[in-house]
Amino acid sequence: MPQVTLTVNGKTSTVEVEGRTLLVELLREKLRLTGTHVGCDTSQCGACVVHMNGESVKACTTLALQADGASITTIEGLAKADGTLHPMQEAFREYHALQCGFCTPGMVMSAIDLVQKHPEGLSEKEIREGLEGNLCRCTGYHNIVKAIDAAQAVMHGKAASIAPATV
Amino acid sequence: MIVRPATLEAALALRAAGPARPLAGGTDIYPAQAAAAAWMRPSNERLLDLTGIAGLDRIEADAEGWRIGACVTWSALRAAPLPAAFDGLRAAAGTIGGVQVQNRGTVLGNLCNASPAADGAPPLFSLDAGIEIAGPQGIRRLPLPDFLLGNRRTALAPDELAIAIRIPQPAAAARSAFRKLGARSHLVISIAMVAVLAELRDGHVTRACLAVGACGPVAQRLPAAEAALIGAPIAMAPALIAPAHLAALAPLDDLRASAEYRRHAALILLRRALAEALA
Ligand SMILES: Cc1cc2nc3c(=O)[nH]c(=O)nc-3n(C[C@H](O)[C@H](O)[C@H](O)COP(=O)(O)OP(=O)(O)OC[C@H]3O[C@@H](n4cnc5c(N)ncnc54)[C@H](O)[C@@H]3O)c2cc1C
Ligand code: FES
Ligand code: FES
Repeated sequence: MPQVTLTVNGKTSTVEVEGRTLLVELLREKLRLTGTHVGCDTSQCGACVVHMNGESVKACTTLALQADGASITTIEGLAKADGTLHPMQEAFREYHALQCGFCTPGMVMSAIDLVQKHPEGLSEKEIREGLEGNLCRCTGYHNIVKAIDAAQAVMHGKAASIAPATV
Repeated sequence: MIVRPATLEAALALRAAGPARPLAGGTDIYPAQAAAAAWMRPSNERLLDLTGIAGLDRIEADAEGWRIGACVTWSALRAAPLPAAFDGLRAAAGTIGGVQVQNRGTVLGNLCNASPAADGAPPLFSLDAGIEIAGPQGIRRLPLPDFLLGNRRTALAPDELAIAIRIPQPAAAARSAFRKLGARSHLVISIAMVAVLAELRDGHVTRACLAVGACGPVAQRLPAAEAALIGAPIAMAPALIAPAHLAALAPLDDLRASAEYRRHAALILLRRALAEALA
């Protein structure tokens, strides 16, 4: 069987995979990183979004073999070893940006890529546009957008901590 | 089965050795495979991954114009410093799927997939694009209208690979725009989409290239409308595009829209895109 060597959340592994194995199967079934979800399998919903060499991709439509040599970050790789959450995770918690949580790992990964690509800052409209590849059937997106707005201030060093949500 | 050669020569040898389906971003291939597998029709197709071949991911300019390599993604195209004539293509890039699909999906893969609803086709028709093809006999080139033969059909032989899109250097003054209509803004198959490229002098149109997609098996240019626009003052130009100019379109009548609605939508989109390009 072909082998693929990739670095996932900072740890390099070499795994034997079938040619047809998708990146999401490798992550979930071989590496047991089940934080990356599968909602649709057809690249629509965004539940499976991970970062591949720093860019957000849908792991349900990327072959494991195409990730050979790549550096992957999944939702499990965001928090610090001591449990401190990434500002985006913190903002999702503070702003109640999830209900069932199924879309959340993909939402968070997409949101981080979006914010990182826009150091100049994103408007509400741009945040909404940037989330076109992620579906949420619970929240109505409103609080997700607010959370991303709060997180971008921290990620770009404009605020020390996530602004508290007002009700 | 998937093979991932490191050179174009090796890829062509694999292509010549037996059926091997080229794989670029996979954003057309995988969803179709997943859907088939869900209906108990798993695929055993041999895939020939092109993304390991060095150099195919470049956008280059030379004396002839622009060359967009086979592995250039929609995101790379959006980020590239291209002239204003490419604004339409760049706008189309921003509507393909969502960011993650743009990060993987390639411009050339969109054409090779030959869907009637390929959003890349109208802007590239309006830019007079051609396809560079590598095969056992060397390199050949085809204008895009000769490359796209029909729904899911291209002029590519089983032992060939498309390696780049070629775009002749557009006039410095050329501007362009893209409009698409779907049931929602993203993650949707277009009902109709259009691209317009126009050149102006002293407030008058000196050249116009209009293309419509999803209104027939392949995108089309509208030569009659293009001719009618020459010499038109900017403010008058959009209204000069008339229903008769769209007579050659053969839109589908399907669950997404009726043929009549598609034809009307194409007309309105063309007028809006032209107004945007001329603004
Ligand atoms: C959620 C989602 C949303 C989408 N939204 C849109 C949209 O809004 N508009 C739109 O137009 N498309 C859309 N697509 C379709 C797709 O993303 C695009 O067509 C994309 O550009 C395909 O490129 P790719 O590199 O992923 O192609 P692949 O899937 O790798 O290949 C597509 C086809 O082209 C062939 N091929 C690829 N490269 C070559 C080559 N160099 N030589 C010969 N043959 C080749 C392959 O064999 C295959 O048949 C969407 C797809 C998904 C999953
Ligand atoms: S599971 Fe990948 S996009 Fe839905
Ligand atoms: S929180 Fe349930 S799908 Fe988004």
